[in-house]
Amino acid sequence: MPMLQFKLNGAPVSADVETPTLLVHLLRDQLGLTGTHIGCDTAQCGCCTVMVDGAAVKSCNQLALQVAGREVTTVEGLAAADGRLHPVQEAFVACHGLQCGYCTPGMVMSAAALLRHNPRPSEGEIVEALEGNLCRCTGYVNIVAAVQQAARALREGAPR
Amino acid sequence: MSAAATTSEATRFGSGQAVRRVEDPALVQGRGRFTDDVTLPGQAWLAFVRSDRAHARLRSVDVSGAKAMPGVLAVFTGGDLVAAGVKPMALPAGFKRPDGRDASAPPKQPLAHDVVRFVGEPVVAVVADSREAARAAVAAVWVDYDDLPAVTSLADALAPGAPQLWPGAPGNVLAEASYGDVAKTEAAFAAAAVRVAVEIDNQRLAASPMEPRSVLAYVEDGRLTMRLSSQMPTGVRTGLVASIPGRTVENTRVLVGDVGGGFGMKTGLYAEDVVVGWAALATGRPVKWQADRLEEFTAAVHGRDTTSRAEMALDASGKVLAMRVRSWANVGACPGAVSVAIPLVIGPWVLPSIYHVPLLQLRATAVLTNRVATGAYRGAGRPESIYIVERLMDAAAREMKLDPAELRRRNMVRPEQMPYTNAMAQVYDSGEFEKIMDQALALADWSGFAARRAEAMARGRLRGRGIATFLEWTGGLALEEDVRVDVTAEGFVELTSATMAMGQGIATSYVQLACDIFGVPPERIRVLQGDTDRANGFGSAGSRSLFTGGGAVHVASVRCIDESKKLAGEALEAPPVDIEYRAGRFNVVGTDLGIGLFELAARQPGARIVVSGTAKASGPSWPNACHVCEVEVDPATGDVQVVAHASVNDIGRIVSPVIVRGQVEGGAVQGIGQALCERVSYDAATGQLLSASFMDYALPRVDGFRGFKTAFDESVPCRTNVLGAKGVGELGTIGATPAVVNAVIDALDSAGLGREAERVQMPLTAEVVWRALRRDFASVLPATA
Repeated sequence: MPMLQFKLNGAPVSADVETPTLLVHLLRDQLGLTGTHIGCDTAQCGCCTVMVDGAAVKSCNQLALQVAGREVTTVEGLAAADGRLHPVQEAFVACHGLQCGYCTPGMVMSAAALLRHNPRPSEGEIVEALEGNLCRCTGYVNIVAAVQQAARALREGAPR
Repeated sequence: MSAAATTSEATRFGSGQAVRRVEDPALVQGRGRFTDDVTLPGQAWLAFVRSDRAHARLRSVDVSGAKAMPGVLAVFTGGDLVAAGVKPMALPAGFKRPDGRDASAPPKQPLAHDVVRFVGEPVVAVVADSREAARAAVAAVWVDYDDLPAVTSLADALAPGAPQLWPGAPGNVLAEASYGDVAKTEAAFAAAAVRVAVEIDNQRLAASPMEPRSVLAYVEDGRLTMRLSSQMPTGVRTGLVASIPGRTVENTRVLVGDVGGGFGMKTGLYAEDVVVGWAALATGRPVKWQADRLEEFTAAVHGRDTTSRAEMALDASGKVLAMRVRSWANVGACPGAVSVAIPLVIGPWVLPSIYHVPLLQLRATAVLTNRVATGAYRGAGRPESIYIVERLMDAAAREMKLDPAELRRRNMVRPEQMPYTNAMAQVYDSGEFEKIMDQALALADWSGFAARRAEAMARGRLRGRGIATFLEWTGGLALEEDVRVDVTAEGFVELTSATMAMGQGIATSYVQLACDIFGVPPERIRVLQGDTDRANGFGSAGSRSLFTGGGAVHVASVRCIDESKKLAGEALEAPPVDIEYRAGRFNVVGTDLGIGLFELAARQPGARIVVSGTAKASGPSWPNACHVCEVEVDPATGDVQVVAHASVNDIGRIVSPVIVRGQVEGGAVQGIGQALCERVSYDAATGQLLSASFMDYALPRVDGFRGFKTAFDESVPCRTNVLGAKGVGELGTIGATPAVVNAVIDALDSAGLGREAERVQMPLTAEVVWRALRRDFASVLPATA
């Protein structure tokens, strides 16, 4: 069984991984990080979105072995070490950007990835960045509002 | 904590305040506890072999290859379950066929035994050491089918000579209900100055909560525990006990953690629940099944799927004289009671809506086809009925060349008529429908539409405007709820309820209501749900939880303070009448003698104060609203864009302003989804499900409409429950669909189609609208109509 080494939420990880294992199953089943959710089997819903080297990636659509040597951030790794919420998480709470919360980790990760490389996204750019994330509860109204608020907070120097 | 600080913090979190939800900090950090997040030591995985045929006899099922696969622990067939005494699930009861006989439907075996009746029906269950081993073994099961002729469409099922699904349902007619006086209605139509008719296909939808169903079953000391994703834990337990031999309510427990959306789809017992529970009992191992999305599309209940011809008769002044509706519901192959109750009972109750309809005649038929069963989905019958009456209102207004708002105004039930009994014998306790509509017309700038239409026309776009004024029935006929309050020595007020959170934020609302009474900070209040060992009841459906469960939170909290005053009196050696309570502390009036609420709890036997309270509403609540939508159609492509959507909603007293806005707007996007893009589609020739993934079933995405103007009017409280609240869950969905469709029809009308535009059918995709502009319409009624 191949040995996989990568950085997960800031810490080095080694894991024995069967070759066909998907990244999402490695995270959920082997590493116990159940914040990354599975909502479909066609890479459509985005519930499993994580960041790989700072870019949003659907972890159901990558083999675990593809992240060898790379840096993976899951929703569990977003808040500050002292427990303070990441500005995107904080904005989702403040703007009522979630109801059932199942799509939320994926939404939050897609939004956080967007704001990493585009601190001043237009509404159209936010919509484009979240096009691969489905939400059935909120109608997306407050999700887009949350990302806008998070962008403002980050620009105003909120710790990320 | 000082009393003053406590009070102000509690007040900020009390009812009516815009608060941050108590659910959210865990959920945004991925610390929710959904069923699939829990893994037990020694856990095995279950996977299903599902029918790839729409209708077939099982000739043989060979599981020997699967049993020999590595890691496989057990393989179960329908025959194995029957031999073990596992009983079929509940069938529709209490319904009649048109020939007067009791409704009869195929038995719902948890695993198909002799015949499969829809694509996706579970046939074999494989239990293995790992998910991968279970799935690999599924591929090694050999099922030999004898294909039978299949029908998936309503028209095909009702056609002469159609394949028959079940001997007890000749002509595939499962059940029928008739309401109203045929002769009187006919006479009213004959004498009417204006008659209009519309044909409506209220298409089949997939609820699609983002969390697929998931079940984890395990046995400890002879007790079966089922952890699953459900809105109705007690109902699931009842079904399990009825189905699995040896199970009783005492030795069966249902646990529900976070539920990733329900929308009605997670309300009942599913075949898979029984099989997973049985597998845990049979293997002695914890067993998990996690549905993939394909299984959800094929085997979780769908919503809607009702086809109707609807007529309205009016006098020359625009007063409705009568309505007549003939409808057929395609309830699928293995329906339950809910599948039939929605189109034959619950939907009809609101068919008169907010209008005074003197005569109403309805004949509704439930029809068996080789589709998965229908069930509750976001409104369950109310959206279908309201869509019919709102389409009729627009048709009549168009026919009479009247403003559609004005025609509605002339027919609304007036406030002075309350309580009002509608033509379906339903009693509305309250409602000021004209007042709500007038606010919505102002919010939507109704009178400014002509200028907006002209401006759009200059850009080459057809602009249309649609309105829906309506009410809905809530409560699920389960109007009583208990809540237990535990005040603990550790400093918490625990509220235990059999209602169930599923994303609607009910825990936050309960905390707000308890804050009102206890005056302690919200972090001191905990809501416990989802455990049949703690609380049992109807669960959460039908927009009932706040006005029943929330009522019980209020009653139990008030009782708790009253009872605790007696205990405080004993502790402080003062008569209870001299004890006052404020913000977590009891004081003897006029002294500085006092004791804290939690300190008092610590002194009680068991170190807690336990008080239960019951709230019973005397009737359902009737939330109502007016939605106004504007769309723009590109005549070159048929593309429809929603460009404005305003609503004013009467949900009585509001406990959580942020939550109810989210409910209405999120629900409205689901309603827009039905109007514009969603449709479950079966291939007529093969019975295969064509819309079996999110690539084929078009859920609204983030690029849809988000610019809602949403307002609430709290001035008309509900008179039948202690809170004065009306259920909010489905208003957005019910109102948005007809408002959007009426707007598109208005746009098509403006292109010269006139009333012919009313022949358009949902979903109004670009293709449908493009064809409509060329007067190319699909017919929807069965030939027998």
